[in-house]
Amino acid sequence: MSLLADLLAGKLLDPGYAEAAARRARRPDAPGGPLRRGRRGGGVLLVLVLTGTLIAVAGAEVRRSEPVAAERRSRLIDEIDARTAETDALRRRLDRLRAETERQRAAALARGDAGHGVRSRLARAAAAAAAAPATGEGLVVTLDDSPRDDPDGLAARGGARGRVYDRDLQVLVNGLWAAGAEAIGVNGQRLTATTAIRSAGEAILVDYRPLTRPYEVTALGDPGRLRDAFTGSAADRRLRALEERYRIRYGTRGAPDVRLPAAGPVRLRYAVPREEDGQ
Amino acid sequence: MIALIGLLIGVALGLLLQPDVPLWLQPYLPIAIVAALDAMFGGLRARLEGVFDEKVFVVSFVGNAVIAALIVFLGDQLGVGSQLSTGVVVVLGIRIFANVAGIRRRVFGA
Repeated sequence: MSLLADLLAGKLLDPGYAEAAARRARRPDAPGGPLRRGRRGGGVLLVLVLTGTLIAVAGAEVRRSEPVAAERRSRLIDEIDARTAETDALRRRLDRLRAETERQRAAALARGDAGHGVRSRLARAAAAAAAAPATGEGLVVTLDDSPRDDPDGLAARGGARGRVYDRDLQVLVNGLWAAGAEAIGVNGQRLTATTAIRSAGEAILVDYRPLTRPYEVTALGDPGRLRDAFTGSAADRRLRALEERYRIRYGTRGAPDVRLPAAGPVRLRYAVPREEDGQ
Repeated sequence: MIALIGLLIGVALGLLLQPDVPLWLQPYLPIAIVAALDAMFGGLRARLEGVFDEKVFVVSFVGNAVIAALIVFLGDQLGVGSQLSTGVVVVLGIRIFANVAGIRRRVFGA
C-alpha cells in the first residue's frame, strides 16, 4: 500500500476504477441499465463544472491580490519617502537655527573685550567637542575586509576571511588622535572624544549608527605631518600586520579638502543656565 | 466531450461571477484544485482504459477534496499547515504524474 512502492511497480494508483469495472463485468446488465445510462454524465458534468470554477476563481484571486500587494508596497515606499523628506526638512531647520544661534552669540560676544576672550575659548572648546563642522586638508585611511575570492587569503587556509573588527577601527582612530589629528570622522560621521566604536553582530557601530564597508577614516590636519607621525606607530604596525596576514585592505592617502560635519547634539554636562537672566 | 464542455462552463462561470473567496477558505483553494486535478486525470485515464465509472469518479473527487482540506485544516490547527499542504501537494502531484503517464501511454503509445 506504499505509494512509492506502487509507483515503482507501475500499478494503478487508484484501484477504484478497476474494481468497479470488475464488478460490472460480474453483473453485466444490473446496474448499467437504461436509468443509469440516462443519468450518466450528470455527475461528471457537475464535477467538471466545479473544477473549472475552482481554477477560474483561484486564477482571479491571484490576479486580484497582485495589485493589492503592489499597492501596499508603493504606499510603504511613499511613507518612507515622506518621512525621509520630513527628517531632511527638520535637519535643515536645525542647521538654520544652529547657524542663527551661532551668529547671535558671535554678535553678543563681539561687543566687549571680555567677549573676545570668551569667543576664542568657545571656539576652541567647540572644536575639541566636535560641536562645529570642520574643513581643511587631511589624511584618509581606508580599511576593508579581504576580498571574498582571494585565493591566497585565509579562506584558502581553512579560516574565515579577513574581517575588519571594531577593535581595528578603535586602534586606528586612537593612532590618528595620537598622531595629532585635529578632527576625525568615520565614513562621514564625526567622532568626539567620547564616541563609541563597537560592534553589534556583524556590523560596526559608530555612535550607535551602523557603518557599511569600506571604512574610510578621515583625519584633519597637515597630511605630511600626520603621515610622518602615524607611519611606524603601533596602530600602523598592527594594521600592516593584519593586511599581510589576513589580506584586509589598508591604505592611506592625503586629501586636500575634506569636510567633516558636526557631531550629534552636544549634551551639556556641567553648564547650567544663569537664573537671573531668566533664560 | 461532455467533460470538456463542463470544464469550459465552469471556467466561464468562475470568471463571470468572480465570487469573493472568504479569507478562511483561501488556504484550501489551491489544495482543492490539486485534488480536483487528480480526480480529473484519474477519470480521464480510466476513460481511455475503458473502465470509467461515474460513481467512482464523483466519489473520488469529493473524497479527495474533503480529505485534502481536512489534512490542511488539521495541520493549521497543529501549526504545521504549510508542511502538510506540501505533503498533500506532493502525494497528489505524484498521482497526477502517474495518471498523465498512463494517459500518454494510451494516446501516443509511448
